[in-house]
Amino acid sequence: MTEAQFEPRIAAFFCNWCTYGGADLAGVSRLQYPTNLRAIRIPCTGRMNPNFIMQAFRQGADGVWVSGCHPGDCHYIAGNLYARRRFTVFKNLLEYAGLEPGRLHFSWISSAEASKFQQTVIEVTDAVRALGPAQHLIKDIRKVA
Amino acid sequence: MSHKILAKDKLDAFLQGLCRDQDLFAPVMKDGKVGWAPVTTAAEALWEFSNSELSPKDFFFPQTECMMRFKNVQGDPQGMIMQAEPALNKPRVLLNIRPCDAKAFQVLDMIFVQDEMTNDLYWRDKREKTTLIGLACNDPCPTCFCTTVGSNPHGTTGLDVLLTDIGDKLVAESFTAKGEALLKELPEVTRQDLFQAGELKKAAEAKITSGVAVDKINAATVMELYDAPLWDRVMESCLNCGTCTFCCPTCHCFDIQDETQGEAGRRVRNWDYCMSWLFTMHGTGHNPRGTKKDRVRQRFMHKFKYIPVKRGGEIGCVGCGRCVQLCPVNIDVRKVVNDMNA
Amino acid sequence: MEAIAQKIREAAKKLLSEGKVDVVIGYAKGSVPMREYPYFAYTPEEAENLTWSSFCCNNLALYTIRRPGRMAVVAQGCVSRNLVNLINENQIKRENLYVIGLNSPGMVDRRKVQALFPGKTITEVIEEPEHLLVKGQGFEERIERKKFLRSNCLTCVQRNPVISDELIGQAGPEGHGGNIDNVAAPWEKLIPAERWAEMQETFKDCIRCYACRDACPLCYCYVCFVDEAQPQWCAKSQDEADVMTFHLLRAFHCAGRCTDCGTCESACPQGIKMRRLTSKIEKDIRELYGYRPGMEIGAQPPMSLFKPNDPQDFIK
Ligand code: SF4
Ligand code: SF4
Ligand code: SF4
Ligand code: SF4
Repeated sequence: MTEAQFEPRIAAFFCNWCTYGGADLAGVSRLQYPTNLRAIRIPCTGRMNPNFIMQAFRQGADGVWVSGCHPGDCHYIAGNLYARRRFTVFKNLLEYAGLEPGRLHFSWISSAEASKFQQTVIEVTDAVRALGPAQHLIKDIRKVA
Repeated sequence: MSHKILAKDKLDAFLQGLCRDQDLFAPVMKDGKVGWAPVTTAAEALWEFSNSELSPKDFFFPQTECMMRFKNVQGDPQGMIMQAEPALNKPRVLLNIRPCDAKAFQVLDMIFVQDEMTNDLYWRDKREKTTLIGLACNDPCPTCFCTTVGSNPHGTTGLDVLLTDIGDKLVAESFTAKGEALLKELPEVTRQDLFQAGELKKAAEAKITSGVAVDKINAATVMELYDAPLWDRVMESCLNCGTCTFCCPTCHCFDIQDETQGEAGRRVRNWDYCMSWLFTMHGTGHNPRGTKKDRVRQRFMHKFKYIPVKRGGEIGCVGCGRCVQLCPVNIDVRKVVNDMNA
Repeated sequence: MEAIAQKIREAAKKLLSEGKVDVVIGYAKGSVPMREYPYFAYTPEEAENLTWSSFCCNNLALYTIRRPGRMAVVAQGCVSRNLVNLINENQIKRENLYVIGLNSPGMVDRRKVQALFPGKTITEVIEEPEHLLVKGQGFEERIERKKFLRSNCLTCVQRNPVISDELIGQAGPEGHGGNIDNVAAPWEKLIPAERWAEMQETFKDCIRCYACRDACPLCYCYVCFVDEAQPQWCAKSQDEADVMTFHLLRAFHCAGRCTDCGTCESACPQGIKMRRLTSKIEKDIRELYGYRPGMEIGAQPPMSLFKPNDPQDFIK
């Protein structure tokens, strides 16, 4: 498969109170963006167990993107700020272990930021596409003993 | 059956014969540890070593083994298919296996292959296609106690051939037709060589200074041992980890799971261990071995009481000493069993 | 060492005969060389079995978790830090704990000693002030203790106990001169593909016995994520993805809590260096949030905290 043809699959975890709404707004505003992501709605980035990121990679996602409310805007006051530390440490750990930078993305996008949503989808998709299919952490039972 | 001589300078030729249409494995030194690996020459294999850190049971009972594959595609004529995994495609030879490990496989045969209903074809297939060439222990470790659990540093149980290193040559004794065929071309042994091998055996036996006694365990009832106060102390430091069972040549518990991916799946069995709470956890939430004490007790009771009761006195431990060496908190099976026997 | 051991025994006997504690948790001499084990003394007579040596490698804080009654624990620097962790995480109560503190001489890595004598059996190791006399079948060698310390002891920053109710011997220096950042540094220089290759090399022999997890005083969850069945986050097989999932997530669960006590590596039957992961996290937590685990009673674990200005350069 050449890079030009490769269409990555991206698991996207969006907070219900912001990015998910931003995606809706981008939709009703007829903004164009790539269709490589599979959106999963979460109640808050504070609910985002790093294990979910691991599971997405295990199941073959080429990229993972987590997006929530800007600092200060959390519906539950500070879920995103607790999450921020977790994401920092976990991202560092995965990349230390060999996950290519550019597979795992985080953003703050409010429900009003349709164009930031559009821009970020493009950015994330391009970054993952450039890396090619996922290589590591995939649980593929067809391949193994 | 026959006693032959295998000169050390003829070893490579002998091994070449073994490799011709079989896969040959032997203990080798890798990263400072003794483990099993494919070999083709005598120099690659170890000839002086105590034993491999882990037992070679995974040749017959791999830690992860696919049992079958399946598809579940509604409406597809190829759907709802179950597909057997291919059997071992090439016979194997395990060279320089220690007598305790060979004996362990014979104990496991009694468990994996009992009758028509209990007839584990995964185990049996690999057992039947494997030849075991043992290497007698002339220098047992301080943690070996095989002679006190029905094995021997020069033991022959379960082996096709036993090699005894008598200096510049090896005495090769065969016990099965398979073994006899391997030795066919080798020269006959002399009375002097046999005598030397016998002396080495006596010397090796004498080097085994620690052990267990099981006479009182045999005489006691299951419930007396089960309720004995010793378990409260044995379990104290135990971590309930998998080390002792995973390194053990006779531990054989497993867990079967179906792993699925889309419409395809595989049935896979993995080593499991009595020390794990999950091993006995029921779907109802009830756990018949719910405490650490229950689980620690199980390991020793299984080996030294339940197996002997059910398998005509056979003990579920061959005295290899691996668990003694590797347990992170030094729970020493010899001490536990001797306390059981008190 | 023997003088310290004697003092530990005396302290334990006193505590037990005065009824101050129900049990003294310490170390006893193992049945094989270089393997002391966690020992529970309930009576002054049993306290005679307590010992102290270069091979007290288990972290005794583990045994205080969910243990009723009053207990005394023999605690060198790292063990005391894990006790502080457990107090801060509300797993044990300070008032139920009597800490018999002592400066750690640094523990010796039995694998490093064994590596000197490949394929040979060590039958006895005798402690001398700065040396170890290693004896085996047909050999005897005197080795310099310092050269065989566990990697985590070399990089230790807290050899004296953080908390103690009684100090055995003298307080001593805090470190051994190593720098924990050097554990992660070699990988940090690599490109991703090389890092992954190192991961594979590091964990290829893992047999998933979980001794590392089970020996660790941080891993006290009632149900570990690898044991969860619905959903099953991590299958039980030896597939690389399953082995890596276990190690990466376990390391992550130690974030802001790991004291680098090295018990996980000491417990592993396969000699696997899982501190390559935890030491990276230790470094991140220290550099990003200025925190070292287990140094202060009352400190809040950094992963259950935030600051408004926490670094977030990587967030779009
Ligand atoms: S006896 Fe030792 S090796 Fe076995 S489960 Fe307990 S701690 Fe682990
Ligand atoms: S119980 Fe221990 S000594 Fe006995 S066979 Fe198993 S590993 Fe060897
Ligand atoms: S103790 Fe070692 S072999 Fe066991 S699970 Fe941990 S890393 Fe793997
Ligand atoms: S992860 Fe290892 S070094 Fe860290 S606290 Fe646990 S046992 Fe100690």
